[in-house]
Amino acid sequence: MWNKKRTTVSSMVALTLVGGMLAGCSDNGNNGGSAGNAGNGGNTSTNNGGSSETASNKEVTIKILHNWNGSGAGDVDMTPIANAIKEKTGVTVKFDYTKGSEVEKVNTIFATQDLPDVYTGPAWGGELDGIIKAANEDQLVDISDKLDKYPNLAKEIAKENVPPALYDKAIGAFGDKKYMLYQNQPASEKDANDWLYGFYVRKDIAGKIGIDPQSVHTKDDLYNFLKKIKDANLQENGMPVFPLGGFSNGWAVGIGNTMFYGSDYIDKGDGTLEHTFMSKQYEDYTLYYRKLISEGLLDPETFTQTDPIAKEKINQGRIAVLAAHYPAILDASKDYVKAHPGTDFVPVGPLERAGAEENRPVDLGIQGNNVTVITKKNKNVDASLKLLDFLASDEGFKLVHYGVEGVHYDMVDGKPVAKKDFFDKFNADATGKAKKNEGFGIGFESMTGLDRTNTLGGDIWADQERIAAMDNARKILRPNGISVISAYAPGDVLAKSPEYESLKPSMDQIGDVWKQAVFAKSDEAALKIINDLRNQMKKTGYEDAMKYTNENLKGKEVVTLQMPN
Amino acid sequence: MTASLLWKRIWRHKIFYLFMLPGVIWFFLFSYVPLYGIQVAFRDFRFTGGFTGSPWAGLKYFHQFFDYYQSKEIIRNTILISGMKLCIGFLTPIVLAILLNEVRNVAFKKTVQTLSYLPYFVSWVVVVTLMQRLLSQYGGPVNNFLESIGLVNEPIQFLNNTSWFYQMIIGSDIWKNIGWNSIIYIAAIAGIDQQQYEAAKIDGAGRFKQIWHITLPGIRNIAVILFILATGSLMSAGYEQLLLLNGPATASIGSVLDVHVINAGIGSGRLSYAAAVGLFQSVIALILILTVNRVARKVSDVSLF
Repeated sequence: MWNKKRTTVSSMVALTLVGGMLAGCSDNGNNGGSAGNAGNGGNTSTNNGGSSETASNKEVTIKILHNWNGSGAGDVDMTPIANAIKEKTGVTVKFDYTKGSEVEKVNTIFATQDLPDVYTGPAWGGELDGIIKAANEDQLVDISDKLDKYPNLAKEIAKENVPPALYDKAIGAFGDKKYMLYQNQPASEKDANDWLYGFYVRKDIAGKIGIDPQSVHTKDDLYNFLKKIKDANLQENGMPVFPLGGFSNGWAVGIGNTMFYGSDYIDKGDGTLEHTFMSKQYEDYTLYYRKLISEGLLDPETFTQTDPIAKEKINQGRIAVLAAHYPAILDASKDYVKAHPGTDFVPVGPLERAGAEENRPVDLGIQGNNVTVITKKNKNVDASLKLLDFLASDEGFKLVHYGVEGVHYDMVDGKPVAKKDFFDKFNADATGKAKKNEGFGIGFESMTGLDRTNTLGGDIWADQERIAAMDNARKILRPNGISVISAYAPGDVLAKSPEYESLKPSMDQIGDVWKQAVFAKSDEAALKIINDLRNQMKKTGYEDAMKYTNENLKGKEVVTLQMPN
Repeated sequence: MTASLLWKRIWRHKIFYLFMLPGVIWFFLFSYVPLYGIQVAFRDFRFTGGFTGSPWAGLKYFHQFFDYYQSKEIIRNTILISGMKLCIGFLTPIVLAILLNEVRNVAFKKTVQTLSYLPYFVSWVVVVTLMQRLLSQYGGPVNNFLESIGLVNEPIQFLNNTSWFYQMIIGSDIWKNIGWNSIIYIAAIAGIDQQQYEAAKIDGAGRFKQIWHITLPGIRNIAVILFILATGSLMSAGYEQLLLLNGPATASIGSVLDVHVINAGIGSGRLSYAAAVGLFQSVIALILILTVNRVARKVSDVSLF
């Protein structure tokens, strides 16, 4: 009897274990499915039965991946702006954010098929290549037959509103089909957003070494400037001050490249282009930075440090010259400057530009910054398009950038003016959470169509000191103004060459190889590192790909001068 | 034993086999089913085609890897780093286990043992961050200490430096794993008959002779088995540690296959290529295990199978 009971109990325990495990396994499968469903709005698929045509008037939830490292939500589930969007469109947006590499995220979501309903992310690097691959492999929704119902979206990707090479490469590259929306390209020259990339030095340190930052123009000037800082042996809390530093993974200490070459592709002298990596100028640029590293002028940890560590150094006052765009520098140094008046960062230069006439306006590669696509997993295509079209309208743009009228801002003489309580609250909060909790800066901006910030009323949330600092830097760094590039970027054409698939892995190495060369033991070793990759590029089809590029660019205006933006 | 006899025996002990079933299913699902994904290495992987529907590419991706100008360097680095980890990292847990066995104070012994295996549970991200903070030449406590006692005049650049790279990699690996890896040896030593030690003492054997003639032979079989298993990871130097500790300054000696696979697969979206390199690693690992197993069987009569 006892044995029988024991057998029964044992059997039940074993079966429970097996059953539990199998249930666990099947859960995995279901999770994928339910995640997909949730992504498409748990209520949605039930309500609409998976129909993509019936979503427009029903409440749906859309899962959007905002593939932008550093973006993120505030502390509340539904913000006032998100609520207003829901009221207008019936769509509740659930954002997912990327914490690591954007390129890796693109590759991962398509490889694992863990797809959002809508993807929005950067459009300038490997991310776009991943999206194009996804379009070619039937992973995205063709919206060409729906665009007539969504005029704001049609406008975003009208040929005249997209930089030509990008249009050829991505937007219009699929015949009659359209897979991609494109956002944040300026609607007019007035809306061009100059992030003011450059070198910035702490005012007090420039004073201590007795050099006027505006007297620094040439490569030698910059080198001597950094050397003087080094020789001054400055210390902060017993730790040395680095002459030059940057943010995570070395962003953006390499911007001194513009002193050596104009853009990624340069004229060989016979009217044909070559990749700058193949040129003598690139070697000079590399050896210059090698000298900075080997002489202790550039923080050797800059290429391996994380963003918190970089910001910690800035907040400890251990960086004399920072390389990046100005808003990032202002944000990172805010606390230190507050505690140590007179230590604000001011522009160095303007520095010489290789191949540019002295009075030439600064060439900014403003090409927008976001590509948005609807994935095949989306069960509410029309609702998604309705949402995107609303966001791209003037009303949607203003809602996302200025907030709810009467709550966050008022219209005064036809212009939006921020409500004082919100303005003060946002400016007092260094974490940025206060702003995010209202719905600003959580991802909607990336889907608001053509950039009309200045046309529609400017940035009403920027504080006066910040505006003054930006204006001051602009006067110094852009004495001849700016010019928005509309010419063809050779890289976009090269990406369509038959050899690109085999060449791309080699070309992807350029950034890493440059860093390795910068740390090489000698100039010869640095050049060997570069030459090894050059040979590999040649072996994998570089010359044929460039021939293709040159042939396809014949007679077209090509970008040969470009400043980082 | 005939098949019917075998089935009869299984049926007689069915409850125990039922308990074994979850493990068998687990291995089948997570170790055997994924094997069909290996074919990706021979296909041009397409999202729509998946594992079975993508077109065949033959050995294209294997050729690509061996044509890659840094492939030899990467293989060399991998073997060198994991070879050092194998030799040094294999011996140190044995030494720790023997040393702990010789400690008579139980409280001290337990404390040391606990402290030695705690790092095993700390993520590499935390370990590397700690290393960066402690070893920094700009205000790091280690350099400050060395300077304060007059051992160095200038702070040493421990990280991002080819001269110190191997020491850092091997040292941190030992620090992290020594305690955990020593547990099995401590257990093996505990299983040695105490009468052998008493007999040796009567014969006049000192501590070292006891270790040499009793403890070491007592754990020899376990050590051989663990060594055979460890050779399987010779082509795998550990991706987390190398991904975090290797930088541009040390790339020439620190780029390894594991990181190359991650970068190619997830970083560049070259899944077939990454699968091909991964398969190459696995095949070499299998060959190594089979070879070492065979050698061990011939030399010491101890083997995995």
